[in-house]
Amino acid sequence: MRVQIAATMLSRVTRLTSRTRQLDPGRILHTGSRAPQSVAAHLDDQAADDGPRAVSRTSEKDPARHGEQHEGLHYDIPLQDVGTLFPQSLPPRFSMQVKTFGEACLMVRKPALELLHYLKNTDFAHPAVRYVLYGEKGTGKTLSLCHVIHFCAKQDWLILHVPDAHLWVKNCRGLLPSAYDRTRLDQPAEASAWLKNFKTTNERFLSQIKVQGQYVWNKRESTERGRPLGEVVEQGLTRAKSATDAVGVVLKELKGQSRAGGFRLLVAVDGVNALWGRTTLRREDKSLVAAEELALVHNLRKMVRNDWHGGAIALTLSQTGSLFKPRKAYLPQELLGKEGFDALDPFVPILVSNYSPKEFESCVQYYLESSWLQHEKAHTEDGKKQLLFLSDANPGQLERLCAHL
Amino acid sequence: MAAPAVRAARRWPVLALDLRNRLLRLPGLTQVRWSRYGPEYKDPQIDKEHYRKPVAELTEQEKYDLELRKTQHIKAAPATKTSSVFEDPVISKFTNMLMKGGNKVLARSLMTQTLEAVKRKQFEKYRAASAEERATIERNPYTIFHQALKNCEPVIGLVPILRGGRFYQVPVPLADRRRRFLAMKWMITECREKKHRRVLMPEKLSHELLEAFHNQGPVIKKKHEMHKMAEANRALGALGRARALCCKKQ
Repeated sequence: MRVQIAATMLSRVTRLTSRTRQLDPGRILHTGSRAPQSVAAHLDDQAADDGPRAVSRTSEKDPARHGEQHEGLHYDIPLQDVGTLFPQSLPPRFSMQVKTFGEACLMVRKPALELLHYLKNTDFAHPAVRYVLYGEKGTGKTLSLCHVIHFCAKQDWLILHVPDAHLWVKNCRGLLPSAYDRTRLDQPAEASAWLKNFKTTNERFLSQIKVQGQYVWNKRESTERGRPLGEVVEQGLTRAKSATDAVGVVLKELKGQSRAGGFRLLVAVDGVNALWGRTTLRREDKSLVAAEELALVHNLRKMVRNDWHGGAIALTLSQTGSLFKPRKAYLPQELLGKEGFDALDPFVPILVSNYSPKEFESCVQYYLESSWLQHEKAHTEDGKKQLLFLSDANPGQLERLCAHL
Repeated sequence: MAAPAVRAARRWPVLALDLRNRLLRLPGLTQVRWSRYGPEYKDPQIDKEHYRKPVAELTEQEKYDLELRKTQHIKAAPATKTSSVFEDPVISKFTNMLMKGGNKVLARSLMTQTLEAVKRKQFEKYRAASAEERATIERNPYTIFHQALKNCEPVIGLVPILRGGRFYQVPVPLADRRRRFLAMKWMITECREKKHRRVLMPEKLSHELLEAFHNQGPVIKKKHEMHKMAEANRALGALGRARALCCKKQ
């Protein structure tokens, strides 16, 4: 029995490797060395199962080793990693789930695996490639981005994560004219919040990276060349008025130094269509503010351009928090508009769609195993069919449905 | 006043149909709750399991009923009654009572948020509890909801009866549906009135439901007060029995 399983797995793996040979001739060694390890992992999983019950979890905690055999399975992120990587930047319903269950379980899905495969095979001498995750509402774009961020953090990349760019273009109080450039506007509250999260995520890089320019904040304070980046971040956190300028300095320094090779940079922006959309902010004279007049947006747009190398850019489009976009819009052209699409072109689009039947089954199994589905009829076939019908295998809708069942 | 007349008329046989119509159209009797359907219309059978039974397994009576229903008029099923496995008539009734101004969407979302809040609170308690306590913690929001409402139902109620120009509060046994109605009404009124304006309804409702589940809280207190009042007015019990006799005669 075991020999037959191994034989089928090996034949499947050789088919996999022959497929990758067609795609990428230079990388066969990389995937080939992974193949016997994945077969062993799958056999171990099979050995661990007792009986033909559906499995929804995997014990593989390292995203670097996630492959097609883990598709549809949940892996859990240790809670201290969640606190470091995603300080207040998880989607609200997911953070409620983490709080209730006491564990952060993400499902391994195809779009995330595809993006991980591209990231593993990046050539850091070439300009940064932009990957755009797009899809309908509730399909899992943000959580796929979180999966990718976890992978990059494990591989010791520097993570530049903007959890929701829409928060920078709406409901901002305390807009100040920028000290650096009179035509632009500062957002001290948003900039300080971002600097705090950046510091929590990338603590160890702040002392390693040295600033390459001299920056004068005001009459009394300045940062000399060669000081650690942590000082710039501290300056932004202590003086709210220089917070936006501090963010600009951090982005400029990281972009300039990533080509030197000291670290690899991942720029992860959720809701990137906010950068090229309209804002609902007004100045004191009630005139509308355009997106490029905000210093934060201006600097982030420069970061998302592919004129630097030594890392990658992973972006997500989102209609959920967007302004003046129809609810059904989800394609890049619709959400980014002409200006945004031209700015991001060329990019690699990755579609995130609803659950496949296997993924749906795995999700329902996970909820049943953690006793989240308490209704007595939820265990039955009829109940599962009804969940499938009501949610249409949309991950967001399924989660909301199971919350009250 | 019209209600007992209408209820009485409904109990009459189908043959007295025109008599019943004539009674209801008498001057001074306005129908407040009536249906466009005549008495020949039967209620629809919504249960899916009923139709899934194979023909061979049906008894003679059931086969006869099936054939009979093919010739009868059937009322249209209401939009709120579904053949869903997750449907619960108590939850539907509670949602309808929660509804204001016909906004069923809002009422239903408040209900689902309440159930979710109850579930999350119980899960927090479960995680914090030790192994022995975990067996006692109930995490199913539906069980908690049903048990809480059952705990809030009064056994005996007070009815104002007019005798000699005065209204006396008489203790009288309540019908099942009146008890269920009172429990739900008290719960909703309590949550609407004794709530801080910044606290949302699901939060308050979930808190009250959990308290009622453990036989504590203001709604249970109201039920006990009703029982105490009934106990205090025990002497007027004779009036209640006389009223019951009068109703039965009708």
